[in-house]
Amino acid sequence: MSWFAENGLLVGLALLDGLSYAAAVFMVAVGLNLVFGVMRVLNVAHGSLYAIGGYAAASLGLFVASLGAPPWAGLPVLLAAAVLVGALLGPLIERLLLRRMQDQEPVLQLLVTFALFMILEDLQKLAFGVQPVVFDAPLKWLGTVDVPFGADAIPFTAYQLYVLPGVALATLAILAVVLRYTLVGRMVVAVTVDREAARAMGIDAAKVTLLTFTAGAALAALGGALAAPTVSLVPGVGASTIVLSFAVVATAGLGQIEGAAVAALLIGLGRSFAVYVAPEFEVVVPYAIMVTVLLFRPQGLFGVAETRRI
Amino acid sequence: MLRLEGAAVEIAGVTVLRGVSFTVPPGGRVALIGRNGAGKTTTLRTLMGLLPLRAGRVELDGQDATHVPAHHRARLGIGYAPEERRLFGSFTVRDNLLLPAQVLGLAGPEIARRLDAVYGLLPELKEFGPRKAAGLSGGQGKMVALGRALMVGTRAVLLDEPFQGLAPALALRYAEALARLRAALPDVAILITESSPDLLRALVDTTIEIERGEVSVA
Repeated sequence: MSWFAENGLLVGLALLDGLSYAAAVFMVAVGLNLVFGVMRVLNVAHGSLYAIGGYAAASLGLFVASLGAPPWAGLPVLLAAAVLVGALLGPLIERLLLRRMQDQEPVLQLLVTFALFMILEDLQKLAFGVQPVVFDAPLKWLGTVDVPFGADAIPFTAYQLYVLPGVALATLAILAVVLRYTLVGRMVVAVTVDREAARAMGIDAAKVTLLTFTAGAALAALGGALAAPTVSLVPGVGASTIVLSFAVVATAGLGQIEGAAVAALLIGLGRSFAVYVAPEFEVVVPYAIMVTVLLFRPQGLFGVAETRRI
Repeated sequence: MLRLEGAAVEIAGVTVLRGVSFTVPPGGRVALIGRNGAGKTTTLRTLMGLLPLRAGRVELDGQDATHVPAHHRARLGIGYAPEERRLFGSFTVRDNLLLPAQVLGLAGPEIARRLDAVYGLLPELKEFGPRKAAGLSGGQGKMVALGRALMVGTRAVLLDEPFQGLAPALALRYAEALARLRAALPDVAILITESSPDLLRALVDTTIEIERGEVSVA
């Protein structure tokens, strides 16, 4: 009780922090999951799209602000930057590279996407430099909220409290509805489950793959763009993001949209509690969660074991 | 009329089909009989455009379909029920049946008409309708796969080992359904593969044997 009285606020802060962090990680992981589903290629360069999305959003935001745009303009700029990055880089990467790698050995696929990751990392340094980039106008514009916590209140930025989790929840809801109730969503599911059977049913699997990859790229870029106002962007942000979203996807199980949200929460909260309670374990906690889950459920928390054939 | 002419196909560098030629006439019921590994599934996948031809051609009603991509063959009117049924487990049975017709962009009334026709031929599918495909038994799944092939197979229907692993009672019902097809779809070319000719004897008018990728008319 006395520990809680002393550290209660810390717990509250860790909860809030973890929530907003989980939101950004979810955006990346859910795209990675969708793309792996339709292509069966684990795209290491997916994290670069997060980084580039973040840099593009921050740069565009600073540029628009320098033109004298009002502070609220920062929010649509974040969204526009993410859509732009996804729409430009997504089709380019899928058409020129990943499509050609689909029938190759998994080792070769990993090497190629890793090489792409290295190239994008350097291109990002060329384009945006190595100095930290800070664009926190949307954060400042929305101000802070006093979140009641027991007898106390925790001041927390409204951006991290509402915008980040709000966009992540909206993404989750839209994806769930599209995949379940629309024809294009069913075509994505069909290609994920059985590419050849899907083609035999008349589905243009190549087109579905291109569409899914572009959507995944835009989601990763949006994750980066949304996180941009809360951090200062530095080289290497792509690498840490991709590793973390691998952990989320592995923990959730492949093909699980809602599962990815739960796993992102688990890992986001685990990491932020580590930051506040035992900072030396910050890096380890996500993987400790992943390994623990995989030891008991190799298919992930929500993954379905191979369905019976006969 | 579905025709394969001089088809040579390799899978991973191994020759599987060596100059396979045969014709399934409109309204024809043709059995393709052969052991495991003889090339039955490869023949059907080739007809569906899922494997590239090294030589030879595919014709549908006299038109060259060799270079029509796989996803356009359903549009040409070829329905396909693969060996392992390959349903989409998270969809209901009804949604599995509707999918190929919806993908083709058929009009709502036309889709409803076709679904009714399939329900007429395979009444048990109507009962399964709201169930998830993953919850079906293997035999029930084969019935659904047949129904799904019929939804778009207006000119040709390819059935890959439909009796494989069916319980005797279900096999009987499946055979009855195939017999009903003859009357209901007098113009559709139907090609059925099986490892033993006995099951199909009463259902087909031509039997082709395939061994090591070569065919001979029995």
